[in-house]
Amino acid sequence: MKKVRLLGICCNWSPFACYNAAGMARMKMPDNFKLIRVMCIGRVNQALILRAFEYGADGVILLECNDEDCRYGPGPEVGHENVKRVRKMLHLLGIGQERLVEKSFAAHEKEELVEALWDFAERIEALGPVTEQKAMAAHV
Amino acid sequence: MDKKIDQIIQDRSLYLCLECGKCTAVCPRRLTGKEYSPRLLAHKVIVEREDEAFIENAVWECLTCEICSEHCPSGVEFSGFILEMRELLAETKGLKGYRAHDGAIHSWMRMMTAPELKQNRLDWLTDELNTSAAGDIAYFVGCAPYFDVFFSGIEVDTLAIARDSIRLLNYLDIEPVLLPDERCCGHDLLWTGDRSNFERLQKLNYQTFKDAGIREVVVSCPECYMILSEYMPKVVPGFDLKITLLMDLIQQEVHKGGTAFKPLKRRTTFQDPCRLSRMLNRHKVPRELLTEIPDMRFTDMEHSGRSAICCGNSAFINCDAHSKQIQVQRLTEAKNTGADLLITACPKCMIHLTCAMRDRLKQKTLKLEIRDIVSILADQIKPYGG
Repeated sequence: MKKVRLLGICCNWSPFACYNAAGMARMKMPDNFKLIRVMCIGRVNQALILRAFEYGADGVILLECNDEDCRYGPGPEVGHENVKRVRKMLHLLGIGQERLVEKSFAAHEKEELVEALWDFAERIEALGPVTEQKAMAAHV
Repeated sequence: MDKKIDQIIQDRSLYLCLECGKCTAVCPRRLTGKEYSPRLLAHKVIVEREDEAFIENAVWECLTCEICSEHCPSGVEFSGFILEMRELLAETKGLKGYRAHDGAIHSWMRMMTAPELKQNRLDWLTDELNTSAAGDIAYFVGCAPYFDVFFSGIEVDTLAIARDSIRLLNYLDIEPVLLPDERCCGHDLLWTGDRSNFERLQKLNYQTFKDAGIREVVVSCPECYMILSEYMPKVVPGFDLKITLLMDLIQQEVHKGGTAFKPLKRRTTFQDPCRLSRMLNRHKVPRELLTEIPDMRFTDMEHSGRSAICCGNSAFINCDAHSKQIQVQRLTEAKNTGADLLITACPKCMIHLTCAMRDRLKQKTLKLEIRDIVSILADQIKPYGG
């Protein structure tokens, strides 16, 4: 089976603390998973999520803080709104809205984060690669 | 590269420039105070080509609204020059311009170049809209379903244009085919220099039409119409589709005499999309149709028809404070006509002007109902004497 390409966009605060702690504890994570760290999920807009798919991602997970934990204010809410719209765009494009996932974590939830990543990897692997991937990668 | 630029200058008649500066005097960018000069760009690209930074910047800054060519006494094809320069700079230097909305619009257009694409672009169709599964005539929906999602935050209903176009076609006893896998017309990729993906879209769209056995494509958006009727034939060998602008079709019907309009008691004005009025020379058509509607008071803005001012942005690049100022100026002109309904014919004019209206400080003075001409016609059309 062809390996899928998984991308995580991760907030620097709670979820990255989890990710870091999970790494320190040597917890196993999917090896086809790449992470981009941003200062806040509110920094990520519709365009950036969409571009991940344009550049060939098969699944994207937004790792966010809980709504009330945001260090800046409305970050996760911005994330929810963007995910809602980009999902609709992915549906229009026939890529499938289930390829975009969002999850929020408190700073101590490393087990939950790792579990969420495995669950995400499993779901996307079940869906398989976006068929268009090859065609698009040639153009970027 | 130098040779290529020489060729573009030659082809687009830049050597004929008299440096009279009329282009700069009418440029909407310049009129809103931006240090921008088409004349200076023409001058630099001919005699001071070493000033690459200036040239590259100016090439991407242009709105391509073509008002400069309208006033040029020497017939310099300025926007054609810009188009080819952008292709060249995109190809050689990877330049893309400063993309509005972080390039999301161009992203989905590029994603549509995948041949295996299986879209779900027709979920909005309802039972009242009559379409056929197969036939000769297709209606080209374009990016409306995508804009509808992407711009849902500013409450602009671009899908209404598609719905009302189908209603109009149904009124003319045409039940158009809607293709589930038509793609974007590629206008914005072309005008941001992405020639290769633009051509891919042309070929894929043509193939989609042909596979469905389509002979005629009806289009409501002026940009899509321009691309399908003027650019697609240059890309696709053996092109043999008939491309029809919906507005032209309605005009023919009115000329035949079987059609009239119900009265509409509104004061209206019209925002000319640059592609429609200048590039396609159709500025008279919407006016002729709108003045057919009884009880409607139609007043043109200070700048209208072929001299109309751009809605502030084109191909979703370089949206900045000056774009906003152009929009504010345009809306002020519209308000000054006393209109309570602004009619336009391009979904992008609608998006850009609606966006400007939402300015919190100016909301009270700029707010104006804005609708596409297709929607107005679909609401008001009726059989003659009926």
